[in-house]
Amino acid sequence: MASLGTFLLLAAFVACSYTVVVSVVGARRGSRRLVESGIGAFYLIAALMTVATAVIVNAFLTDDFTIKYVSRYSDSVQPLFYKITSYWGGLDGSIMFWVFLLSVFGSIAVYVNRERHRELIPYVVATIATVQGFFLFLMIVHNNPFGTYVSAAPLDGEGLNPVLQNYWMVIHPPSLYTGFVGMTIPFAFGIAALITGHLDDSWLRAVRRWTMFAWLFLSFGLMLGMIWAYEELGWGGYWGWDPVENAALLPWFTATAFLHSVMVQERRSMLRVWNVVLVILTFFLTIFGTFLTRSGVVQSVHAFGQDPTLTWMFSIFMVVLLTFSFGLVIYRLPLLRARNDLDSWMSREAAFLVNNWILLFCAFFVLFATMFPTLSEAINGERLTVAAPFYNKWMLPIGLVLLVLTGIAPLLAWRKSTLINLRDSFLWPTVAALVTGSAFVAVGFRVWASGLCFALCAFVTATIVQEFWRGANVRRTTTGTDFFTALVGVVGRNKRRYGGYIVHLGIVLIFFGFAGEGFKQNAQVLLRPGEQTTLGRYTIRYDRLSVEDDGQKQMTAAHMSVFREGTQIAALYPAKWAWHKHETEPPTTEVAIRRTFAEDLYIVLAAAEAGTQAASFQIFVNPLVNWVWFGFGIMALGTGIALLPERTYAFALAKLPEAAGTTTAALLFVLMLFGAPLSAQHQEMSSIAPVLPRNQIEKRLGEKMVCLCGGCGKEPIGTCTCSTAAGVRREIATLVDSGKSEDQIIEYFIGKYGGQQFLGAPLDQGFNRLAWLFPYLLGASGAVVVGFAAVRWSRNHDKAPADAPAAADQDLDDRLDDELRNLD
Amino acid sequence: MSSATSTRVPDGPADAVSHDSLWPPPFEGPADGLRPWQFFVLAALICATGVTWLLRGQGVTVVVLMTIVMGATALVGIAALRAIRPLVTSHQDRTPMIGARTRVALEREKMLALRAIKELEFDRAMTKVSDEDFRVMSGRLRARAGRLMRQLEASAGYRERVERDLVKRLGEKATAEPVARTCGSCSTANDADAQFCKACGAKL
Repeated sequence: MASLGTFLLLAAFVACSYTVVVSVVGARRGSRRLVESGIGAFYLIAALMTVATAVIVNAFLTDDFTIKYVSRYSDSVQPLFYKITSYWGGLDGSIMFWVFLLSVFGSIAVYVNRERHRELIPYVVATIATVQGFFLFLMIVHNNPFGTYVSAAPLDGEGLNPVLQNYWMVIHPPSLYTGFVGMTIPFAFGIAALITGHLDDSWLRAVRRWTMFAWLFLSFGLMLGMIWAYEELGWGGYWGWDPVENAALLPWFTATAFLHSVMVQERRSMLRVWNVVLVILTFFLTIFGTFLTRSGVVQSVHAFGQDPTLTWMFSIFMVVLLTFSFGLVIYRLPLLRARNDLDSWMSREAAFLVNNWILLFCAFFVLFATMFPTLSEAINGERLTVAAPFYNKWMLPIGLVLLVLTGIAPLLAWRKSTLINLRDSFLWPTVAALVTGSAFVAVGFRVWASGLCFALCAFVTATIVQEFWRGANVRRTTTGTDFFTALVGVVGRNKRRYGGYIVHLGIVLIFFGFAGEGFKQNAQVLLRPGEQTTLGRYTIRYDRLSVEDDGQKQMTAAHMSVFREGTQIAALYPAKWAWHKHETEPPTTEVAIRRTFAEDLYIVLAAAEAGTQAASFQIFVNPLVNWVWFGFGIMALGTGIALLPERTYAFALAKLPEAAGTTTAALLFVLMLFGAPLSAQHQEMSSIAPVLPRNQIEKRLGEKMVCLCGGCGKEPIGTCTCSTAAGVRREIATLVDSGKSEDQIIEYFIGKYGGQQFLGAPLDQGFNRLAWLFPYLLGASGAVVVGFAAVRWSRNHDKAPADAPAAADQDLDDRLDDELRNLD
Repeated sequence: MSSATSTRVPDGPADAVSHDSLWPPPFEGPADGLRPWQFFVLAALICATGVTWLLRGQGVTVVVLMTIVMGATALVGIAALRAIRPLVTSHQDRTPMIGARTRVALEREKMLALRAIKELEFDRAMTKVSDEDFRVMSGRLRARAGRLMRQLEASAGYRERVERDLVKRLGEKATAEPVARTCGSCSTANDADAQFCKACGAKL
């Protein structure tokens, strides 16, 4: 079986090489015969990868531990479900899974577009096959998932990491890979358009749905990762700005920018160069993200590990990719000139321009901050840490600005908005924002960021409701139907627009959930059986400890009773699991969560002593957090609506199910709604009772300093429950008792660690100033570029000649009007 | 007649895609013999049956998986043939072309232009586009759509093919009437499915 698998990979690589050569030669010579052969070979790659996938999954299911990959990520007692999903559990298999997905998606994209975009297809095929060839080359020469043991194979495997034996973790990688791989399709069409010079809107139309589809799965993958982190890592949060998390977020920013700027090109023939650049950048960032997680360049709990050879191979590929792609852009610049000007800053085009600037700022800022530790190590020899405090300082205000734009842009007119437009459009949303903000202040809340967020959420929601209301009224006037029918009709006839508005509503709900962070409460307590503690509206009583074993793990659970206003409302069982096959690793902890839409009560069993049954707990009250997950469900629904094919495309899509997009999105949404989170999995834990902060110095240092245990993703030591963090907290307590100040304690640890890597954000001095200065520089340079482009557009250029008007033909006009009526 | 009601080009020499005849077509005409994809599907079924028998007793999962492997192997065969066939057979590109572009591409572009006009009309009703801008943008889109309609209608034989297809569809409805049987002995007209004459009883 292993030999068959290796042979299939080799055959796929040969097929890739053939495809590239034959497609390019066929296109250059105008030979349909060669082009058709290239397309056939492209389908052959998908077929070969399907067989290879079946072979590796078969190896997992039959416990073929002669294959190293199988023995590393599976064992004989592993549940069937996790045996199958171990396929993408490790580096080698994940690369193979990538090629498999790309071959399937590529085949579908080529099959659908083979007649619509005949001139582009050969180069699309060649581009995708080149990317496939790179990954296949990686596998063949370096990371073969079918590699076998030279000497005797082990009798049993090591088993999948317990952290990954989790429902969310199973679907998180396929979803992310679908998102990453899906971005290759728009890139391929963009390159094909550049090579052939067919730079009108046709290539954009070919890729718009693919980009939305990939964006949806990228969003889904990110959301799954957040849910997993919330339930798995047990630090009470869901996003830690871990480098691997950031790697998935980067292409999301640029893809979001692309989905918006493409509308400007379609409507006003502007941002043509920018769209091509965005598509290239998005694809590059997917490759870069893959590089980050597999090269060891960044340190992360999510990383596959260190591999210098892989680092070099990826680096060379990325350099070639950027050089070739941007070389083509420069070559085709004359054809990419904008055909219209920016007539006013109070226009939708300008709003999209600012939207793009902000999203690109986010992308480059996150990229820089992610790479800063590597940069500082290369320049200074000191690997600094950039953790959540640094990111949140910038991303919070930028996020709020993005939220404002989400509300403003749909209200603006194309080309130029008049004052009357603005007054009519902004009145009610502004009133809603002011009322919400005032109510927030009136009830006594003083967290300005959350209050502002609530007001902006009200603003954006009001704009969305207004758009639905007005659109339905317009249709009601036109068709004479009742309001509800008109509402359904207007959504049905403008799926992309109103699907987009529903996506915006989902974003609003997500931000609403984010705003709850401002009211988060947490406590660390040490309790004995019968004792209780209070946090917020809850009284939590610790009843007893229980120990069970299911053959795979020993489970120690704390039995807790939760009361509110004297009435018991829940029984929670935070636990720790000690896995028999992973005894060298610390036991993991199950988080217990009581969920409501208003807030979550979240309890972590940090440590327990079997003798006295004393246990330490971390308790969180997380307001509004479930709106984040619900908001994503709404986003998925909106994207599904926007993905629906137009009725008039039915004849051209005769071979594809019309409702495919809807079905997929609906299933996705149902999955989200019914995928009720399991009681959360685990977090690294300690058997030593943690030291709780006694004063403000300890509390502040607990937030500033991050844990370096390597297993928690650099959580603040105030919340990490591992033994390393507990030791550091004890050390801090001793230093505080000896009279040291906060700065002196930091100096002490700098001396102890030989650097600032224990700090969540580097000290603002020397080379580190670059980290703090960079966002300002980036923002300023971005504003300069955007402003320069806008000024240039707004000068009176010789306008590109409009399409020559057709000679007056009444018959043609009548038939055109007939067809337009048929669209209704 | 609206070209939005364009029908699929009928089977035969003008079939849209030549080399995808290796794939199962949506509407099958009379069989001309075993097609390549049918051969591979048959081979896959036979191999899957064999594998199921050989691996019986080893569990459902393994049998299902090996069946999938057989199916995927059939796909490899079909795809390999799809890659090689254009090089070894005489190639006839039967895709309807209009100039340098395919008919499908032009029809799609026409529909996109029409859709863009409708969207623009909606934007104007929602005051997202001024009347002046609407006139300019709409005029441009209408000119484009008009040009595309002319191109599509001017392509050789298009109208005739549509009319032929209409006649064919209407004709199919009229062919259902049975033919009466006449008795050779007494010349009485009998039902089409009659075995004996209703008048004289003679065998028809």
